[in-house]
Amino acid sequence: MKKHLVIIIAILFLISSCKKFLDEQPQGPYPTAAFFQTESHAKLAVNACYEPLSFANSNNRLWVVTDVVSNDAVKGGFPGDQAEIELIDNFLIYEDNGNIETIWSIYYEGVSRCNMVLKFVPDIDMDKALQNRILGEAYFLRGYFYFQLCNIFGNIPLVLEPLLPIDMQVPNSLQEDVYLHIESDFISAFNYMEDALQANPNVYPSGEIGRATPGAAKALLAKTYLFEEKWSDAASTAEEVTAYGYLLMPVYQHNFNVIFDNNNEQIFQVQHMSEESPVQGSRLNQWLAPREQNGYGFDEPTQNFVNEFEMTEDSVYDPRLDYTVGRAGHIWFDDIEYDTSWSSTGYNQKKSLQPLSEIPASTKGDADLNFSVIRYAEVLLIQAEALCEMNNTSEAIIYLNKVRQRARECYLYDENLLGYGTIPEGLLPDVTTTDQVVLLAAIRHERRVELGFESMRYYDIIRYGREYAESAFSDKDNFDYDVHKVFPIPQSEIETNKNIKQNFGY
Amino acid sequence: MKSIYSFKNLFFRFLMLFCITFYFIFLSGSSVAQGSEIKYTQTLQELFQHIENQGKYTMFYQNSQVDLKRKVRIDKNQTDMNKLLSQALEGTGLNFKLIDDHIVITAKRNINKQNDGPIVRGKITDNTGETLIGVTIIVKGTTIGTVTGLDGEYELEVNNLSDTLVFSYIGFVKIEQAINGRTEINVVMQMATFALDEVVAIGYGIKKQTDIIGAVSVINTKEIASLPVSNIATAIQGKATGVSVTQNTGAPGAGTAIRIRGTGTINNNSPLFIIDGIPTQDANNLPPDNIESISILKDAAASSIYGSRASNGVVLITTKKGKEGSIKVNLNTYTGLQVVSNLTKMCDKDQYIELYNEVAKNDGRSIISPEMADSLPNTNWWNEIFKPAVITSTSINVSGGTKNTNYLVSANYFNQDGIILNSGYDKYSFRTSINSKLSDKIDIGTNLNLSNATTNRVGSSGDGYGGNGGSVVRYAYFRTPIYPVCDNNGEYIDYYPEYAEVFGDGYNPVAFAEKYDWKNKENRLLGNIFINWKITDNLTFRTDYGLDFYSTNEKRFNENWGYNGRINNPNSLQQSSVTSSQSTWKSTLTFNKTFNEKHNLNVLAGLETIKNNLEGQSGSAQNFPDQIPSLRYLSNGTKNQRVDGWQSRWALLSFFGRVSYDYKGKYYAEIVVREDGSSRFGSNYPWAFFPAAALGWRIDKEPFLCDVKFLSYLKLRTSAGILGNQQIGNYGFASLITPGSYYPFGNNSLSGYYLSRHGNANLRWESQTQFNAGLDLGLFDNKLFFVFDYYNKLTDDVLVRAPLPPSSGNATPPFINAGKIKNSGIEIEVTYKNQINKLNYNIGLVFSHSKNEVLELYRDSPIPAGRIDNGIYATLTEEGFPIGSYYLYEMEGIFQDETDIFTHAFQGNDIKPGDVKFADLSGPDGVPDGIIDSYDRTHVGSPIPDFTLGLNVGLNYKKWDFTLFVEGVYGNEIYWQVAHDIEGFYRAFNVTQRVYDSRWTGPGTSDDQPRVSWTGSTNNKKPSTRFLFDGSYLRIKNVNLGYTFSDIGKQKTIIQSLRVYLSIQNLLTFTKYPGLDPEMQTSDNSSSEGDLAKGIDWGTYPMARVFTLGFNISF
Repeated sequence: MKKHLVIIIAILFLISSCKKFLDEQPQGPYPTAAFFQTESHAKLAVNACYEPLSFANSNNRLWVVTDVVSNDAVKGGFPGDQAEIELIDNFLIYEDNGNIETIWSIYYEGVSRCNMVLKFVPDIDMDKALQNRILGEAYFLRGYFYFQLCNIFGNIPLVLEPLLPIDMQVPNSLQEDVYLHIESDFISAFNYMEDALQANPNVYPSGEIGRATPGAAKALLAKTYLFEEKWSDAASTAEEVTAYGYLLMPVYQHNFNVIFDNNNEQIFQVQHMSEESPVQGSRLNQWLAPREQNGYGFDEPTQNFVNEFEMTEDSVYDPRLDYTVGRAGHIWFDDIEYDTSWSSTGYNQKKSLQPLSEIPASTKGDADLNFSVIRYAEVLLIQAEALCEMNNTSEAIIYLNKVRQRARECYLYDENLLGYGTIPEGLLPDVTTTDQVVLLAAIRHERRVELGFESMRYYDIIRYGREYAESAFSDKDNFDYDVHKVFPIPQSEIETNKNIKQNFGY
Repeated sequence: MKSIYSFKNLFFRFLMLFCITFYFIFLSGSSVAQGSEIKYTQTLQELFQHIENQGKYTMFYQNSQVDLKRKVRIDKNQTDMNKLLSQALEGTGLNFKLIDDHIVITAKRNINKQNDGPIVRGKITDNTGETLIGVTIIVKGTTIGTVTGLDGEYELEVNNLSDTLVFSYIGFVKIEQAINGRTEINVVMQMATFALDEVVAIGYGIKKQTDIIGAVSVINTKEIASLPVSNIATAIQGKATGVSVTQNTGAPGAGTAIRIRGTGTINNNSPLFIIDGIPTQDANNLPPDNIESISILKDAAASSIYGSRASNGVVLITTKKGKEGSIKVNLNTYTGLQVVSNLTKMCDKDQYIELYNEVAKNDGRSIISPEMADSLPNTNWWNEIFKPAVITSTSINVSGGTKNTNYLVSANYFNQDGIILNSGYDKYSFRTSINSKLSDKIDIGTNLNLSNATTNRVGSSGDGYGGNGGSVVRYAYFRTPIYPVCDNNGEYIDYYPEYAEVFGDGYNPVAFAEKYDWKNKENRLLGNIFINWKITDNLTFRTDYGLDFYSTNEKRFNENWGYNGRINNPNSLQQSSVTSSQSTWKSTLTFNKTFNEKHNLNVLAGLETIKNNLEGQSGSAQNFPDQIPSLRYLSNGTKNQRVDGWQSRWALLSFFGRVSYDYKGKYYAEIVVREDGSSRFGSNYPWAFFPAAALGWRIDKEPFLCDVKFLSYLKLRTSAGILGNQQIGNYGFASLITPGSYYPFGNNSLSGYYLSRHGNANLRWESQTQFNAGLDLGLFDNKLFFVFDYYNKLTDDVLVRAPLPPSSGNATPPFINAGKIKNSGIEIEVTYKNQINKLNYNIGLVFSHSKNEVLELYRDSPIPAGRIDNGIYATLTEEGFPIGSYYLYEMEGIFQDETDIFTHAFQGNDIKPGDVKFADLSGPDGVPDGIIDSYDRTHVGSPIPDFTLGLNVGLNYKKWDFTLFVEGVYGNEIYWQVAHDIEGFYRAFNVTQRVYDSRWTGPGTSDDQPRVSWTGSTNNKKPSTRFLFDGSYLRIKNVNLGYTFSDIGKQKTIIQSLRVYLSIQNLLTFTKYPGLDPEMQTSDNSSSEGDLAKGIDWGTYPMARVFTLGFNISF
């Protein structure tokens, strides 16, 4: 009987300690409730918001939905390789196209990380200036992710705070409402970061270049206003950017040269760094490079794009052409002459690429060249365009001509240019017209050549309107402005979000 | 050069094996010659035991004739057995006879006659004429009896010649013969045809097979030991109804997937394994010949005693134990040669160039000139990556026991070289089992299994998306025949970038395999100790502590090589070590009593606690200045040295009980309950209750069936109950924030933390309601036996990951209880055993049919899975269809001309005659809209077979034995993903011969293979039924022919019996599937998606055909 008793006692003991026995909490990762408690948590959380910007991820296909789809480029690569890009290039765009799936997913992950910071960091007891900087960064990045999503997809769900899984069924907002929200994000970003800087000028650690700044928030706000056709807001905001001391680089090419990463013209750049694990270098260097240099050869410039560049009577091209594309008879990189057999169009783009002397073929997909999100030249063109639209043509040409001046003056500063030291006769003369229509065309032309292959061309084509777009795509039978002004909402979203509506025509 | 080397290697392996075999024989031989020391006075029992313990002699005697307690005097220094025994037996009235290594003790008749009864003599043989040693002969109704000696003869003194003798022998039909005045009775015994008296392991106990009313499959383990496989799962393939076994890949050491009665849930569908009462993840560390029995519990009645872990079925494994008697040594060894079979026919050089030039012409590119063609090699990549490989296994079991203690010690060495270069598996396992009676009431015992396995891995499935490198087979498919393997210096050729368009740019598969340096080492310990206390005759208490512990060490070096060092740059090393321990403590109280000789009652009550802990560390580094193997250690990595560490725990606490009742073995009833608490469900709903009940009726015992002579057994069974599933990983209730995000600020890479997983605090158990109805029917003395079962399983509150819209971010969605899945099916097992003259034969057929249907999903959201291209998924799990059913475009044929294109739904601007035509099935409004787009994808099949079939045939003729095992799977589809690339034409990859033979070249030339064109590939390689194939197959899995030298023991050798066998595994496969192996169902790409994405073949390591020569030797 004694044994029975022991067993019974053992059972009773067990029952009483059931709760404790079954209580197992996560080891290692933070349960949500344990995070967002300290200053270092806030810093770690905002760092993660930057990752979705990066081109270290092959899924970041911004170049497909901005450049390949536009009249600046064709798909390139082996004929049947990445067939889905070909479909986009031909305006046979279906909602299950992998390129749009991935870009949607990457940028919304960015939004979700920013939302966590914006929701929880305000309640952390921490250094006020740092807190404001971090909140400003999160607003800025969320604004940026929405800006891209909104331009690509149009009417998109606006998710503005972390949701419970049960509530993740956010309906589309109208594109104009999304723009309004992007404005507000950039304004908040600006205010928080300004406050932070005013409270403590050293709130940005010197070793951490590449964080969002008040100037960057202003610049993207100006661009948002421009896209919204709020001309006067765009012009005045662009003007305010000037106060931050940005300058045009004397040599245009230095904006796409790793030695001059984060230079004075660069307002915001996506940062890349080689030889890290996990990879934090740019994969664009492989995707967009010719096969002969161990690239994949995508995103090849069209003749139409090359034709856009001005040429003097002596056949001297706008120097930006050779800074932007490789073409016959010219140096590619590292004293190697470009070979037209490298590309189906006879051209390859250069802005996202580095010479083999910097990044060898063996680590092609791990380049350290940054990616320009917005640089001062674009701010000047925003200002010019906005002023022109407001019919203030005389002021508009000032900003336009600053951009043209720098372009032609490369001849004074870039010793690699043939005829270095003197500006070739008649090259990129100042625009003098005051006719609004002519000037607007000149500004649009200038954007195309100045900002070519910087992942925004398609947005421009669409926002210039039906007429411009239809003429740009006169060779594309399938193009329908009403449908193709935005891409379809990806299938995975349609299938899982009961409240979402597909875009018109898809 | 290469092939000669491997042949030499092979020969060397054979030699080694034979040396080992003879070494063991020599070893056991020498142990006999040990000296012996004997006391002056001891009992006969002590003497006999001592003689037996020396291992050479076995004693035979009748208990009734020998007074074991009698003291005898002997000479300590006497080594001659004859002298020793004659001295010892002097005056005892006993005689002895030395026959080889047997000592038979008999009474001197004239002296020791106790009642002067008559003597009956005789010889006992089986139906082949072989004498049977050790047959028990008892005078019916008495305890008088004897056993047959070595010559099969017996001599028994009976009271009078009108008694009846009962002859019994394990595995043979018991015979009763009245003496009827005879003094010589020779008996021929018949092998038992259907041994229903066998005891079968059930949850927390054992039961006679006739008393089982649940659906339990028992697997014949005799056949398993000689199969050339490393794990039990593969060995039970096709042996039981309702059990489907698939091997993930054919790579040595690859995992297996067992599904019992279909696919019940969207998450983990693996059954629970119990080895000697200890739950474990799998049984792969046990060598198949260590297994005594396997029971598979399939329905609620049988498995609900395991409650929350039982809904996927339970596999109960009992290992071999020592038996009372003299020491027995068994050596089982086999060596086999594995070769590849069923290769997909690929184009050779001339065919490839012809096709390339046709494509180039179609697409307007330059062709391969005849001059260039002449300079190119013709490489057959299959011949380069595959090689014949050796598989060997040797195990030694030493067992024996006394009345109070039995023991078994065994060792096994298994080695399998892969048929693909640089792959292999090597395993040592050791086992000890000791059981001892401390007193009449208390037994204690322990089982201990140790194993050490090393796997040499190469990429065996997938394209690398899963993170483990692409499959070697895949790259061999891709590689064009015009690439040489090596250059003149013997260096591997990687790639010609300037001619990539002609040669292709994939990996050199030979170099890819050879450069793999990926080893996985696992040490494992599985063991238990128990005390069994018979409190009274009816009440037994048992407590059992078990430990399942393993540690793994994985090391993978990614060597930098290739053109310009393009592959694995920078080189890197990843190393990780993981330890896992799971301790189980369980106690049961069993009450067993028969009331009034009619009411049999068995009651079980118990409790069980399980605690599981897994922890690990990993490190990685890059930029190793030297790549030689001795320097491949983390400290030599000059960049990005990183470390990681993790821990994860779960606990389960359970109370359970079972009441089994039967009335005269005719009417059966059973109730089972279990209450489980799990740490995995957080604090809101940790507990759940799982009840089940079953009824059984032995109709053949009813009086109205007594006269039906041909009917020997008929039982109706039915059961219903609720089971659970908790296999969702740990901490599903918590949302997690984890590191792992990095971003460089300037030149300073900083870490970031982000939400990686959503939790759900209201998680509950997944519950499965099961119904089973079964019928067991035995005819003609059970020579013909049917087992029939119907089941219906409804899984509710299925734990699924809520499909969240991507607009909410990428964090892993939470598990939620949503969804309903139905599985129903029938299982039929037919066995027939009989003999024709001296030929014994048995035929067994197992047939299983199951139907799977998803009834409900979270918010009706279908779940896409099985990525086959960027953002494209092959399967869609949707209401009304089976789990993981294929969702693709439907290929209608080939466009024959422009009119055909013009009149068909719009597929794009560049469609040309010869391109694939897809069916226009739907549109945004649910009706065909004249455009082929994603609305036209549809459910086109499923990787789940409609039925599976196993056929086992066994023949015995004299000393010959033969078995045949055929497996069939019917009605499943396989998506041949690798065909995207080798039949898709979008770059320079090699092409299948069937494309070469039947491609479209003009109107009317083909309606299944399109024109060859790279530019046409955008349309032609759309994920469609073009790449979906019938995965049905019929495979002769194993044929085995053996010969037993059973009378070898009469010669002057230490070997008692020797069986030699030849076997062929995977002899022939009949299938329409064009890929390498229709059995390969999973890939590394989608392993995390489980049953949602099965049957996608990216080019998988195939199973080998194995020719084996084996020996079973007992000493």
